[in-house]
Formats: sequence, structure tokens, C-alpha cells
Amino acid sequence: MKKNKTMIVAFLAPAVIMFAIIFIYPIIRTVAMSFFKIEGVTDAVSKWQFSGLANYIKLFNTQLFRISMWNIFRIWLFGGIIVMGLALLFAAILTSGIRFKSGFRAIIYMPNVVSAVALATMWLQYAFSPKFGLFKSIGDLLHWKWLSKFQWLDPSHLFLALLVAYCFGMVGYHMLIFASGIERIGTEYFEAATLDGANRIQQFRYITLPLLKGVTKTNITMWSVSSAGFFLWSQLFSMVVSNTQTITPVVYMYQNIFGAGNSMTERNSGIGAAVGVLLSVCVVVIFIVCDKIFKDDDIEF
Amino acid sequence: MKKKILSVLLSTAMVAGILAGCGSSADNAPADNAPAEEAPAEEAPAEEAPAEEAPAQATGDKIVYWSMWDAAEPQAQAISQSIEAFTAETGIEVDLQFKGRTGIREGLQPALDAGTNIDLFDEDIDRVNTTWGSYLLDLEELAKANDYESTANAGLMAACREVAGGTLKSIPYQPNVFAYFYNADIFEEAGVTAVPTTWDEFLDACQKIKDAGYTPITNDNAYIASLFGYHMSRLIGEPATEEVVKNGDWDNEAVLKTAQAYEELASKGYFSETIESNQWPAGQNTELAMGTAAMYLNGSWLPNEVKDIAGEDFNWGCFSYPAVDGGVDGTEASNYGAQVFAINAKSEKAEQAFQLITYLTKGEADKLLSDMSVGIPADSNNAEWPALLSNVKPVMDSLSTRYPWGAGAEANADMTPIIVENFTKLCGGSLDAQGFVDALKAAGN
Repeated sequence: MKKNKTMIVAFLAPAVIMFAIIFIYPIIRTVAMSFFKIEGVTDAVSKWQFSGLANYIKLFNTQLFRISMWNIFRIWLFGGIIVMGLALLFAAILTSGIRFKSGFRAIIYMPNVVSAVALATMWLQYAFSPKFGLFKSIGDLLHWKWLSKFQWLDPSHLFLALLVAYCFGMVGYHMLIFASGIERIGTEYFEAATLDGANRIQQFRYITLPLLKGVTKTNITMWSVSSAGFFLWSQLFSMVVSNTQTITPVVYMYQNIFGAGNSMTERNSGIGAAVGVLLSVCVVVIFIVCDKIFKDDDIEF
Repeated sequence: MKKKILSVLLSTAMVAGILAGCGSSADNAPADNAPAEEAPAEEAPAEEAPAEEAPAQATGDKIVYWSMWDAAEPQAQAISQSIEAFTAETGIEVDLQFKGRTGIREGLQPALDAGTNIDLFDEDIDRVNTTWGSYLLDLEELAKANDYESTANAGLMAACREVAGGTLKSIPYQPNVFAYFYNADIFEEAGVTAVPTTWDEFLDACQKIKDAGYTPITNDNAYIASLFGYHMSRLIGEPATEEVVKNGDWDNEAVLKTAQAYEELASKGYFSETIESNQWPAGQNTELAMGTAAMYLNGSWLPNEVKDIAGEDFNWGCFSYPAVDGGVDGTEASNYGAQVFAINAKSEKAEQAFQLITYLTKGEADKLLSDMSVGIPADSNNAEWPALLSNVKPVMDSLSTRYPWGAGAEANADMTPIIVENFTKLCGGSLDAQGFVDALKAAGN
């Protein structure tokens, strides 16, 4: 086939133009905005006031923003450990040949199908209720006073409540990814291992886990991306006004762009943009670290 | 060669097609399916109900009205009905688009900046006049020409002018007032014969209610900062409170005084035992509406929100936050306001839009809205308020000083969550007055 420059340009142009408009332009504009004071998010550039690094300095000097970063880190780390641990455990159990496999899988995946609004309302107004909640009832039943008296929703424990509720909803999704990874591994390896005398746990440790490296990386990447954009659950767990236990950087960004609660507060989309830039940097750092830890699959199977 | 030209042309057409496809979505502003950041008037977290948007059609000869309500809300239903009647009566067609609170809040300004054809929109009095003030048409002349004010609520019209810097840029409807709502049956049973107007009377009432076996006061995380704002504003006035909150002047003695007053309430056991765990709407639904708690500082939308739980026989009472010793403001001051209609300064159909506003805020349409949403009527000729709100009228009529939302307590977005956290602990008794002040001071560092 003859190489034809015009054709190459013509066929590449749509993708390149779309990429530039949808990805490159917003990135450049957001980075630029973070150095300006901008009241409305769609204000004309002529209304922007250059403020240098003032937005970043203000963010680092604002306790609430630091709290929001700490919250997101806690969600990412502790939530990540809980969700990945449970997801892997369930995936291993489900793929071990138990009965009613698809039934259990459907049950564990179910929370992903239910609207987050309904789930959060169920947790907040029922499960965690100090008057008639699920945990209170269980505590009463077992005569565990510490459990029935535990105040899930007070300012000291709200984060824990949020974490439990959020992880409950996320396990199924990551479990499916793990399960598909495990099912990809050929049965002959396990058969060979069984003949060699390896038990189930040894098989999991020396066959399943190493071959799940790529899938684990995918899962951690997905988890990091969804954690960085943590917004809906935070809002649902602190209706109308945000809360120190549940605020995340994206919520903080929203408040700076659209105002907080019902009050008329100062708006500055430049700060919102700066939050976005900082979050992107965090995500990129996580990707780089992940890449270093989970080198591309060196095992072929 | 011909083939080449044809291919290039086809590719260009494809690119143009894709771009045009993306571009056209600008008119369809974000549908409102985010439940968060609701205005408090909403009864329950709206379940991702897609806003019922009219298809983006050529709206050349219609008035385009972007509404803050969700299509399923009673306010939206009343407005829809009234607009049908309006069109039948006048022949003026209206393209009514329910955007929901978040839809309006996030989407209106970008849409206006992009030149979207919107003639009319509505939202809270403060947001419309301050955040979107520069997009509004001055309505003084239209109001005068139509003799609008002869049957309008004078106090609210004055409030609209005040927030717009002295001129009329919005028309109020669905007025509301933020005050103490109480269970009149509990008051009667406890022997509280008159509503408290001073702090001492308030403490006395609390004691009697507690002795009668009820929880005197409850609240939720969503509104609890207002208790702080109201008390501070009673002591030093709202503008001074706002200054304290914005500038972090936590050494101001009013902060400690307010904290001490609430420490006393907490130590005497006047708050709900679960106040620290009350995540909206737990307090209003499971305590006030269920008849175990007596008082709740909230807006006049409360009786409507809890009417299905409280039942028809619930006797509502209302009183303005009590005056405190040596304070600047008394019971004449409170947060009151309304939703307001405003017209886009670039609208070419301002007169028809004003005609629609007049239609919706007066007479039958106003009464329908008031009845369906259990709200306060805007037309002063509609003197009969919904039965659930009959006790709110004297309070509304007695007000002369207007506080903004939360009486200034939420004026600084960087501090609101910190105030809420520590004030909640103060009310729950896990923090004392000095601890509260110290926590706020520490947050400034």
C-alpha cells in the first residue's frame, strides 16, 4: 500500500482534534486557572485576577483542606486494605468450586446495583441509628453493651461509619475483577500442584497470588481513581453542611466553586482548580509507585 | 485524485459531525441527579430522579423558565398546573424546565455565560441577588407599571431590594422564616403557658419540659450551626457575628458567652441524648415529629417535611429565638426570606416573563402553591395560611430585622464544618465552653 500523507492526516485528525479539545485544553485551562482568582467558573478570562501561588498557599494554610486530604488518604489506605482484602478473599472462595457460586456472587455484587443514595440512607437512618439501628439491635441481642451504646454517627466516629458503609458497597466490584483474574489461570497448574502435594492455601500463596499481579494492579488503580474523586458518599453522609469527618478534597473544591451549604460564601474557582491540580499530582504519584511495585507481568501463562 | 479529495472531504465531514454532536449538548444543562447539597426544603434525599426536562427544542416564541424545583416536588406540581392555566388564559407559551437545586446552582451561571436562551429563573433570595446579581434585569419599572406591590409582602419586597443593593431585581414567593418550631401539646402538658421571649424564660420552659419527661431541644447536623449563629447574633448583632466568623476573631467575648449558655443547656440535660449522632433528618423525624422532643430551630418548611410522620393532629407552635441579657437584637430579628423569581437581563421577553411571575405569585396560583407545599403565601390578599403554619404568621409579622442564613454562623466555608463539629460536641456535653473556643482558635492556625 502506498503511503499517503494526506490520508494519514485525514484519518488521524479526528482523534487528535478530539483528544486536544477534550483532554489537553481542559488540563491547560485548569492549571492556568489555579494561578488566578476567579469568582464564577465560567467567567471570561478578562475577569481573572492573577494571584500567583496564592491559591496553593491558602490551601496549605487552611485546616479544613488539610483535613480533607487526610480523610481521602484514610479512605484510600484503610478502605483499600479492607476492600482489597475482602474482595480477594471472596474471589478465592467463589472460584474454589463451592456450590451456589453465582448466587453468592450476585449477593456480594448487589450493593453496586443499588443507588448510593438509597444505600447511604439505609446506613445512616437505619443501620447506624442510636435508637433502633441494626448494630444497636445486635448489641442488645448479644448483651454486648459496648456495641449497642456505640455512637456511630457522632463527630468522633462518623468517619468509621462512612468507611464501613462505603467499603460494603465496593467489595463486590473489586471481587469480580479478582475472580475473573483467578478464572483466567489454567486448572492444570492447580492439578499439578495438587499432585505434588500442595494444599489449598499453598496453592493460593504460590500460584494464584503471583499470577494475580496484573489484576491487582488494575484493582489498585481503579480504587485510587475512585478514591481521588470521592464525592457522593461524603455528601450523603453530611447533608446540607459538610463535616470534618467526611469532607474530601472534591467536596472542598465544589464548595469553592459553587458555594457551601445554604449560606452565601466566598467563591473562587481558582482554588477549585488548584485542588484539582493537587489531586492529579497525587494520582500520578500513586500510579508511578504502583508501576514500580507491580512491574509488568513477567510471568506468561 | 478525485478519490483523494473525496476521502479528505468525508473525513472532514466526520470530524465536523462529531464536534457538532458534542457541541449541541451545551443546551441540555446537567440534569439534576445529584442529591447532595440540597436546600433544606427537600423532604428526603431525592433518588436520582431525572429532572423532567422539556426536550431542547426551538424555543423561539416561548418564555424559557429554569426552575429550581425537582419535577416530583409539590412546588413543581403546583407551578406546572398554574403555568398550564396561564398559557390557556394568555396564549403565552412557557418552556418549563425543572433543573432542581443542584442543577440551577451548578448550571445556571455557565448557561447564562454561554448565552443560553433563559428568560426566567428562580432560587433562594440571597443566591439570586448576590451570586447572580450581575445577570438580573432591574424590575422596578415593570413592577411599577403593573402595580405589582399593592398586594405583595412589603417586608419581603424590602428584603429583595436590600440584598440587591437598593433596587428591585427579584420577586419573592414561597416565603419562609427560620425560628423555633415546637410541639404545642408538650408545652401545654409541661405547663409552659406562654412562649419564651427571654433566655430566662427559655431555660424555665426547658426545665418544665424536662420535668414532664420530654426532651426539651433537639436538632440535626444540618442546622445545628444556626443555634450558634442565632445566639451570637442576639448578643452582638448579625453583622458583628459574621465578622467574627469570617475573620476568626474567636477571642470575642460573645463566642465564649454563647458557648457558656450552651454548656449550661447541655449540663442541665436539655438536649436530646443522641444530639451528637443526629444526622439530618434523624432529629426532626424520629424525635420532634414522633413527639419525644419539644423544640427544633428550623425553617417554616419543617411542618411540611415531617407531616406524614407527625400526623394531622400534631399541634405546631412557633416562636422567635429568645432575646438574651445585654444583647443587641431581640425577637424581632430572624432569618426570613423566600425563593425569588428573576429575569435575565438579556431576555427579549421580559414583559411576558414578568406577566408570568405576577400570575404565579398572586391569587389562585399563589394559593395553590401554598396549599400544595404547605408554604406561606406571597400574595398579601391570600390571608389564610395553611393550617399547619397558622402559628407562624404572628412570628413572621413581628420580624423587622433580617438575618442571612444561619445568622452568620456559616459565612466562612472553611470554618463551618469545624464549628458544626465542635458545637455539636458542646451540645452533647463532650466539650465545655472553653474547649469549644480553644478548638475554634486552633483551627485558625
